[in-house]
Amino acid sequence: MFAFALRRLLASIPILFVATFGVFWATASVTNPLDALATCNTCDQTAYDRIIDLYELDKPIPTRYLSWLGDVATGDFGTATSQGERPVSEIFWERGRNTMLLALPAFALLMVFGVAAGTYSALRQYSAGDYAVTSMSYFGLAMPTFFFGLLLQVVMAIWFPRWTGWKPFWSSGMHLESFGQYLSSVTLPVLTLMFVLLAGDSRFIRAAVLDIKSADHIRTARAKGLSESKVIRRHIFRNAMIPAVTVWSLNASALFGGSLITETVFSWPGFGRLIIDGINAADLDVVMIVTVTIALLVVIMNLLADIAYGFLDPRVRYD
Amino acid sequence: MRSVPVLGENKLARLLALLLAFTLVAAACGSDSEGAAEEEGSDDTTADAEDEEPEVTETTAPPAPEEDSDTGGTLIWAHEQEPPDMHLDDPANNLSITSWIRRGLLEGFYGVSGATEFYPELLAQEGEIVVNDDETVTINFVLRDGLTWSNGDPLTTADVAYTYNIWAEGCDLEDDGTIGDGTGCVYLSGDRTGIDLISDVTVTSDTEISMTFVQFFAGWKALFDEIYHPSFGADAAEVNANLPEWSNADGVLVSAGPMVFGEWDRGVSMSMVRNDSYHGSASPDARNDGVAFVEGVQINFVADTDAQINALKAGEAQIIMTQPQLAFAERLATDENFTVASTAGPVFEHWGLNLLNVHLSDPLVREALAYGIDKSEVMAGLYTPLFGDSLPAEGLGNTFWMSNQGPYENHQTEYEGKNTTEAIAKLEEAGYADSGDGIFEHADRGRLTLRVGTTGGNGLRELQQELIQAQMAESGFEIVIDNVDGGAYFSERPFAEEAIAAATTQGAEGDPTIWDITQFAWVGGPWPGGQAASYLGGNGNNPYGFNNADFDAKAPVCDATVDDAERAACYNELDQYVTTLNFGDDGLFMIPLTQKPSFYGYLSSQLSGAGVAPDANDAGPLTNVVDFQFSS
Repeated sequence: MFAFALRRLLASIPILFVATFGVFWATASVTNPLDALATCNTCDQTAYDRIIDLYELDKPIPTRYLSWLGDVATGDFGTATSQGERPVSEIFWERGRNTMLLALPAFALLMVFGVAAGTYSALRQYSAGDYAVTSMSYFGLAMPTFFFGLLLQVVMAIWFPRWTGWKPFWSSGMHLESFGQYLSSVTLPVLTLMFVLLAGDSRFIRAAVLDIKSADHIRTARAKGLSESKVIRRHIFRNAMIPAVTVWSLNASALFGGSLITETVFSWPGFGRLIIDGINAADLDVVMIVTVTIALLVVIMNLLADIAYGFLDPRVRYD
Repeated sequence: MRSVPVLGENKLARLLALLLAFTLVAAACGSDSEGAAEEEGSDDTTADAEDEEPEVTETTAPPAPEEDSDTGGTLIWAHEQEPPDMHLDDPANNLSITSWIRRGLLEGFYGVSGATEFYPELLAQEGEIVVNDDETVTINFVLRDGLTWSNGDPLTTADVAYTYNIWAEGCDLEDDGTIGDGTGCVYLSGDRTGIDLISDVTVTSDTEISMTFVQFFAGWKALFDEIYHPSFGADAAEVNANLPEWSNADGVLVSAGPMVFGEWDRGVSMSMVRNDSYHGSASPDARNDGVAFVEGVQINFVADTDAQINALKAGEAQIIMTQPQLAFAERLATDENFTVASTAGPVFEHWGLNLLNVHLSDPLVREALAYGIDKSEVMAGLYTPLFGDSLPAEGLGNTFWMSNQGPYENHQTEYEGKNTTEAIAKLEEAGYADSGDGIFEHADRGRLTLRVGTTGGNGLRELQQELIQAQMAESGFEIVIDNVDGGAYFSERPFAEEAIAAATTQGAEGDPTIWDITQFAWVGGPWPGGQAASYLGGNGNNPYGFNNADFDAKAPVCDATVDDAERAACYNELDQYVTTLNFGDDGLFMIPLTQKPSFYGYLSSQLSGAGVAPDANDAGPLTNVVDFQFSS
């Protein structure tokens, strides 16, 4: 398995090169830091020279990319021009922590509720509960993330306090003064993230459970006299986890790479907002570190999913 | 066999679907509806906010604080922009938010009032101008008595001299002692206009200082708008290093303004605390001449405008100041818990014409266009519903002076209203004829189709384009909208390298066909002289292709005119070069449309007093922060 994992990681290196160069080239091509001086009547040549020097605008894009690559190889991720020229590595850990504070609870709840809702819906097919879960799924799939987030802000942070006189949630912002404040500020963005992803996950898991539920070995297990709970736990559930792991690996890389829209709506200072600010400011070092992070997360999460398959399905062999 | 229920027969499913649909509809109609439920009989708070004109308060003077209001509390301002750093003069940092924050921390010789006029801030009186025999100009400044830094140090002329020395450090001096083009200067800056004319700074006493300029500079009041304390750095390099984080080895930098810098939690918030040693504001807009009522200010960085409004409505912020949005007034203006106000700022929207365009090179065509545009319809359709009568209903008619400034003259009264008859007459005079579909064409120049572009994604600007597009169709013009998203518009259209090359060489080089008509905003200020740079021949800031030797000669003459009234008249004359045909057939390439209003909303249910006198230039919500006061 170790050799398998190592081979997968090495095979990902060319993918990382392509991904990072593509993002670097695209961002450098469509953004121009000098735009900020376009309508400045009184800015002199030193203003232009400073920006050209700061962003290395006098060099061609491939040269700038290679320069960045060389720096990264030596552990220098550059300076964030959009963040007061602070080291990118310092900002990376800061924003990474913030994204984890949002993504980890969202992911954990997503796994639990996704499995619960999907399994329940499948086992109680065509019941009122199934229809309720299905309706919520369609609602979540159709709902734009930003709209749901703003809707939650209005309902839970504005209307609810006016109705009840109790304000348990912050409408936006990250508040870490205490654990209680953290919970108050993370609840609405977590619900937003979770609800939208839960819609798809529950449908996926429902389909998987439905497929397994009608399999021959499940009928055999029941015929052998196993209780329904054991059938569900030992046979249906375990087999349904294989496709669930696939979905979770995709969700994890999306969540841990920063949720652009949710972080923007709720002003959560994570990777999502960092990359948006970086693109707006043509801050390539910031954009690249987030890009590399997301690319690595996709690779690692897919690798972990493949490894998990081996534990869940004994028929899977690594070669 | 268990029957399988069908969705359509399941009452519970239908009920759930109905509840969900109701929630969506209720949310979409906006939260204003709860006001109607709570306050029966109120005719302001309805869910039909889109059908009525929201009431907007024009506020140039803030409401007086109540006598029984408390001091204390932290004013929370939700804002989308976060400064990259606090070194405003670093050319890489030109965000408004940086200057707005620094307005609460530092003061200078002059401040800018809500009427976009200079007023003595640290000065005890207006500067005294003395024209010397050698035609240099000396300005004598006298500081107010009792000026104090937040650490208790007196603010004296030594601090002013220190500030100048930081700017001038390392610069390769000219023979006359000025810093020239800024070569060698250590202090980071992209704009030394005016500073580069100072040849001598002499401290006479703790409160008296003289500065000699090699020639009169009309914008002298804009200089030294922030005085530094010597603790900012032992030299310019140290100042450059300390300003970004607003701290030195001893902690946060001292302040001469009503606030002292507090903490900066990147991505989350920035805080300031009250300066209890503050010497008091001299602003004509401020009602409180002492220390601030509030204990501090916290800026929460809320990226989304709707989220800002939600934060305001949730009581998590007391003030927001954001780009004007059509929904802004609808969501706040009809709710009596909020005050929504605006003032006309010194930033103005305009249509700029490319004089190298085959159609627009003809002054008759430009006149026809001016006749065809109805600025008052644009105002009535877009701006008046949001901003009331804070902006002139007839639009703007001057690019040097704004409507709320004394010397303002409307030089485009001839083109007021929509004069389709005159527009068509001008086109026919120019040799155009109706092609049959209402759009005119010329035998040699072709169909009268012109592209107009702006920063895509700006709702108000796009609506403005569409309004004028419809107006121009009646006058025989086919206007095609050609936007580019965001700030990229400038470098892809009017300020593209090839476009500027064409503009500066009168078409000999570059590509003059990249754009036809541009719509964006120029930033003005209390000193309008900087606007001339947009029209000087061969200047990289002049995309219009205007090249008039008389104008180029006159502009510095205006800047060098000492008498205020004469100088104002001179700028008015300069404006006519660009907004009329009074001084040549190459004029009338600028059609100013309107001033951009500064637009803010604050939670009047929590605040008994507010101190906002914003202008869109470099003031912002903290300009009169001393007046903000919470209700008891």
